[in-house]
Amino acid sequence: MAGSVLAPAPPAPGPKAPAASQGRLRRALSERRTRFGLLNAAPVVVYLLVLFVYPIFSTLLLSLKSEDGGWTLHWYANALQGSNLKVLLTTLRISAETSLLSLVIGFMLAAAVSRLKPMWAGLVMIIVIVPHFISALVRTYGWIILLGEHGVINNALTDLDVPGAPFQMLYNELGVVIGTTSVMLPYTVLLLYAVMKGIDRRLPAAAASMGAGRLTIFRRVYLPMVAPGLINAGILCFILCLGYYLTPALMGGPKQTMVASLISEQVMKQSQWNGAAALGIILLLLTFAGLLLLRLIKVVGEAAKNRGTS
Amino acid sequence: MIALRSTLTGRIVLTVLSTLVLLFLALPIVLIVVTSFGSDAFGSFPPDSWTLGWYEQLFADGSKWPAALSLSALVASLTTVFSLVLGMTAATALVRSKLPLRSAVYGLVLAPLVIPQVVIALGLFLLFEPASMLGSPIALALGHTVLASPIAVMILMATLQGIDERLEDAAASMGAGRLTVARRITLPLAMPGMIAAAIFSFITSFDEFFISMFLSSVDTTTLPVQMFNVLQFDVDPSVTAVSALLIAVAVVALVLVAAVRRLGVGKQDGLLPTEPGTGLSAGSEAS
Repeated sequence: MAGSVLAPAPPAPGPKAPAASQGRLRRALSERRTRFGLLNAAPVVVYLLVLFVYPIFSTLLLSLKSEDGGWTLHWYANALQGSNLKVLLTTLRISAETSLLSLVIGFMLAAAVSRLKPMWAGLVMIIVIVPHFISALVRTYGWIILLGEHGVINNALTDLDVPGAPFQMLYNELGVVIGTTSVMLPYTVLLLYAVMKGIDRRLPAAAASMGAGRLTIFRRVYLPMVAPGLINAGILCFILCLGYYLTPALMGGPKQTMVASLISEQVMKQSQWNGAAALGIILLLLTFAGLLLLRLIKVVGEAAKNRGTS
Repeated sequence: MIALRSTLTGRIVLTVLSTLVLLFLALPIVLIVVTSFGSDAFGSFPPDSWTLGWYEQLFADGSKWPAALSLSALVASLTTVFSLVLGMTAATALVRSKLPLRSAVYGLVLAPLVIPQVVIALGLFLLFEPASMLGSPIALALGHTVLASPIAVMILMATLQGIDERLEDAAASMGAGRLTVARRITLPLAMPGMIAAAIFSFITSFDEFFISMFLSSVDTTTLPVQMFNVLQFDVDPSVTAVSALLIAVAVVALVLVAAVRRLGVGKQDGLLPTEPGTGLSAGSEAS
């Protein structure tokens, strides 16, 4: 998974071609540009329809089929009760914990970096970005070496005669959240940093000149300006966590099983494809809900801004 | 943070906390690299004595790693070719032509980045299993391309946007055909972006785990899947050496991308948005 999702998408460019206007020649040209566009878009569209849309569609069909071929909601009912429901709730809980922690830590680091000199800021951002491109599997393994019962930290603590050492830091929720947070952190830092760079420094200064205290400035001026970024980063982080597999599988115990692990287990070990498909579709719906929420917040935010200015 | 800013204690607290966060990000990686040269593959840090033994073990007789490594390299190379072709045509369509339903196509292209990978993997499994293509390098590469092509498209779109369209128009007005324009004008100018897209496609595939796990067969696995299996079931200290190699691949790739960007156009190609000295310099005077 590592390198895949980053990169705030470049702003969608408007179509560069000028709108087709009168003159026959220009219309012919614009039609040729359309044909040219369709010709060039065809490979990726066909590819994704066959290897992305169709597979998801067949997963959906499978989740609605009973064993004798009829239609059923049995698999969804099954996914939403008993131990399956527990896994779903665990997934939501761990995703929420990870998002919250990533937001807090990411906020701190981004705020600190946004007031560094450019050279230092660049250096710090390299430390943030490079791990993002290193396999999450490898980073997880690093955490296992660090946090294990005879890991680096516990060895050091035992040598120092810290009471209670060695501590159990793996195969429980603490381990999972530490590992997952370290994977998600680059996203939140990058998103928050972009927002904080864009903040006009004169605004807090203006508030100070009007007599506002530091806390008031933070609460009434700074935080509202960063809030959209925080919400964005939080939801994105949450969505990415929902389907995350590696770290919980390697650093968690049975109580930290997440949906992705459950799905792979049902496919690989039990050949229980319909149930796995239903779980997958539920995960997909949760992701859509998150994306919809992002969209909604953006629309509402823009509407509010327009009302404020007009 | 504003509240903390100007007091000395505030500054110290912030610096210490930030340093801890950076350690949090970097420590696991540094640790693996150091440990891979240490005689005790787990634990003791810094190592008591140094060795290259784990690296030798990777290629020892009966080792499964060389096969996994070569499969990963093959799959990553195929993925790179697929996603460059798809990326270049798609970017051309999105940036350089009139395309009906443009935003729908753009959305479709980026969708694989936000859809949970387990759902994509499960769908691909349902597609390839009946065709008995599990474990085939082609199936793996086709699957990886779903994840790699959006990244290639984003990089190449930014590259094409950075190329002055009038150069292409000028060539066309001098009588050059479409193909000649592409070959003589666009491709050379887009080369740095294409190299970056190729490198990112390669490491996306090389590191990819989830889809590989679903599309592997018992005796053909990629490096990450092999590594995951070892971590979950065996104890094989040569895993540290594999991890260090994966780190090296990623770092070399990033250095290459940085070098290519320094050489050529395509400076604003989406990934690595905060290159030191360029992206950050605007308006960040210290206060």
